[in-house]
Amino acid sequence: MEDFSLLSKLDRVTAPPDFERKVMSQFSARREALPKMRRALAFRFSLAGAAAALLVCFVVVNMFVLQKGPLSESAGRTAQGTLSPKDFMPISEAVKYSPEIRKASYEPKTAYILEQVSDASNVLIKY
Amino acid sequence: MNMDEQALVLQIQAGDEEAFAKIVHVYKDKIVNYLYQVTGDYQKAVDLSQETFLRVFFKANKYRPIAPFSSWVYAIASNLAKTELKKRWRIGLVSLEDVPPAVEISTPSEEASDSGLIRNLRQALDALSPRYRIPVVLKDMEGYSQEEIAQIIKRPIGTVKARISRGRNILKKQLEMARTGNVSFQKKEIFDGRF
Repeated sequence: MEDFSLLSKLDRVTAPPDFERKVMSQFSARREALPKMRRALAFRFSLAGAAAALLVCFVVVNMFVLQKGPLSESAGRTAQGTLSPKDFMPISEAVKYSPEIRKASYEPKTAYILEQVSDASNVLIKY
Repeated sequence: MNMDEQALVLQIQAGDEEAFAKIVHVYKDKIVNYLYQVTGDYQKAVDLSQETFLRVFFKANKYRPIAPFSSWVYAIASNLAKTELKKRWRIGLVSLEDVPPAVEISTPSEEASDSGLIRNLRQALDALSPRYRIPVVLKDMEGYSQEEIAQIIKRPIGTVKARISRGRNILKKQLEMARTGNVSFQKKEIFDGRF
């Protein structure tokens, strides 16, 4: 494609005259700072490691120590079939169902007339 | 890689400063130009080039001679350029108005740059997504083969071929639009934020 041969004709730039000097000065500065950077990196890693260890301890304590409370003990006994009646707290609630039941005799008597309304069938209506 | 360069690399791995200075001298113009073509910002290209060379020295032990040394240097430069472009994308510097123009740079081909086509090509290239721009620049401006580009950007060769083709098509489309007067080099239309 002729357009892309033009890409090679786009303006090319060169490094500024003091480029090498700047690189070498930065190089010296970084080389001097390297031990300090390594120490900082090691400190960061140790900090992260300590945080991770704390998290693991927290999870382990939650899983194996804190969950062995009264509830888990009771559950364990149920599983073993050694649960005694004193382990239960009876809860009873009085419920009155009489208002819920209506007597049919109190209702007004209603006569239902069944009438066929379909035109399709020619059957006499009987009352 | 020629023998001189191989010897220089070995010296750099041993911590030799003079060898490092020679490598900087050999590659400085290539890397500055490459990063300028990718970022479109000369000062940023110079800064990134300095960082590239520092990484070349301090990460020299990670270099394995399975690929040319120049490919490794370009890979470091490409990664830095991608990081810079991502940073720019995140902070919203995506419009062409925000890209500093490279007016202070002396251009050897001044008369060629004056032509409208070259100018449009420059704008279209700056607006192209980095995932296409980097392979296109490496192929059409730096003259690398597709295999070498695959090593530099650490992608399969099929991906490289597809990106070069797609990038060229986008550039062609943009240039045709510019020719017909319907020019709109807006990064948001071309650059979808993927690198």
